[in-house]
Amino acid sequence: MNAAGNTTLPTKPPRNWWLWAIVLGFLTAMTVWSGYGIGFSANELVCNIAGGSRLLEESWPPDFSFLPRLIDPFMETVYIAIVGTVVGGILSIPVAVLAARNLSPDKVTWFLDRNFMNILRTLPDLFWAMLFATAVGFGPVAGALALSVFTVAVISKLWSESLESIDMGLPEAVRSAGGSWLQMIQFSAIPQAMQHYVSYALYAFELNIRASLVLGLVGAGGIGMILETQRANFEYERVTLIILAVLVAVLIIEQISETIRRRLT
Amino acid sequence: MNAPNPHVLDPTKKPGSIVGFGTMTTFIIAALFVIALIMIEFSPLKMIQVPGQVAEVLSFFWPVDMAYGWDNVLPAIIESIQIAWIGTIIAAILSLPLALLGARTLFPRIARIVKFISATARAFPEILLAIYFVPIVGLGPFAGALAIGISSVGMLTKLGAEVVESIDFGTVEAVEATGGSRIMALRYAVVPQVLPEIIAHWLFRFELNIRASAVLGVVGAGGVGGVLLNTLRYRHFEKAAAVLILTIIVVLLIDMISGEIRRKIIKG
Repeated sequence: MNAAGNTTLPTKPPRNWWLWAIVLGFLTAMTVWSGYGIGFSANELVCNIAGGSRLLEESWPPDFSFLPRLIDPFMETVYIAIVGTVVGGILSIPVAVLAARNLSPDKVTWFLDRNFMNILRTLPDLFWAMLFATAVGFGPVAGALALSVFTVAVISKLWSESLESIDMGLPEAVRSAGGSWLQMIQFSAIPQAMQHYVSYALYAFELNIRASLVLGLVGAGGIGMILETQRANFEYERVTLIILAVLVAVLIIEQISETIRRRLT
Repeated sequence: MNAPNPHVLDPTKKPGSIVGFGTMTTFIIAALFVIALIMIEFSPLKMIQVPGQVAEVLSFFWPVDMAYGWDNVLPAIIESIQIAWIGTIIAAILSLPLALLGARTLFPRIARIVKFISATARAFPEILLAIYFVPIVGLGPFAGALAIGISSVGMLTKLGAEVVESIDFGTVEAVEATGGSRIMALRYAVVPQVLPEIIAHWLFRFELNIRASAVLGVVGAGGVGGVLLNTLRYRHFEKAAAVLILTIIVVLLIDMISGEIRRKIIKG
């Protein structure tokens, strides 16, 4: 470093120590508070490892003789995901269009729809499943309805952002040629963002497959219902089998969806 | 983001077959949809009933039992937030080194293994992990935090590795050219460049984890999900309404704060 004796190094930008201290303090406080709140203890973890290893022994090897009984519930899961994605995908089109700042007809509609969308997004999929299971009774229909709502929340959020980034020249051209608002949306806005829509719809389908696996935990149909009964009976070899089967199926479906997406875009 | 190309009309292009790819796909999807509807016994008759049934349940939601909300629901929501926080912290600490190792541009060979592990971790929904953690560490929020932490590691590693792969490599070369080691290059060239974006991903994951931790109560892993399940099961709809309202408000608030911080961090 002696070679640099005569040259002066540029001064380092000053650090905002106060801000750092506050941020670090907040992070530490939050972590300690949460750690206490949830009863985080390494002690307990070590003590329970014994029980845990017994569980792992019990859950291995998976009970493959149970596999044939999984086919029907798994297909039900796929059906639920299909219905949820299609219904939600159709409903999300108007929601997304009205939530795009550049396309929404007026500020009030935009504001209302935007907030409607955000509120839909706050509740997780299983909450919707519990609500619909209570309203329409246990079974796959409740699951399909829950996933429809969930799909609207996912697609409309993402797609409204794509719609906001479209080239506004075309919609203006349609308008100035005397087209109505609906014609503008139909012939200039939606075609521009169609590729995005398709890829978001496929993404939503993947999410829905995953979500519909666990819907059964709250009685909304699909493979989760079998999972719940086996779990309640501590048949952990079967639980392992179900989870492994689900994993393989999800990976396969994701591969298919990925291939379609690449072909379309 | 560049706008997609508008459709180009080419008069020399030959007309394709009458039933194009798009139409075909639409028909296939429609057919699958109808089959699925039949299989889950979602008849038109039922479809007409649904709005009525939903409205009926919603009508029981009033008046909202806010006293129950403040006494029982708010603590459960706070517990959900704590679960999500600890889960995110676990995931953040584990995923930072993994994200560096998982970057193709830095460690070509290790990256492949790391990416495979993170893909496997991502395939499990949190709630399935929680099913395993509950018997291991006992019923309660700790199991939930572990499940959330493990399942977030996969996604944060993937996103983090993508951020590292997208950086300007000039600074790394500069550090190594002046005699710095690989570790020093990571410390002085890579980490400062990627940290803002990675922190933004952590915050975003925290938002997602709040939703995930809210449902973990269903399998007994703590948080507000168990409260909702019980209130609905015993048909205490006024109490369930309190759960929903408080959850919506708290999640909206956290999303707003976290979104604002993310925007600030990314702008620098």
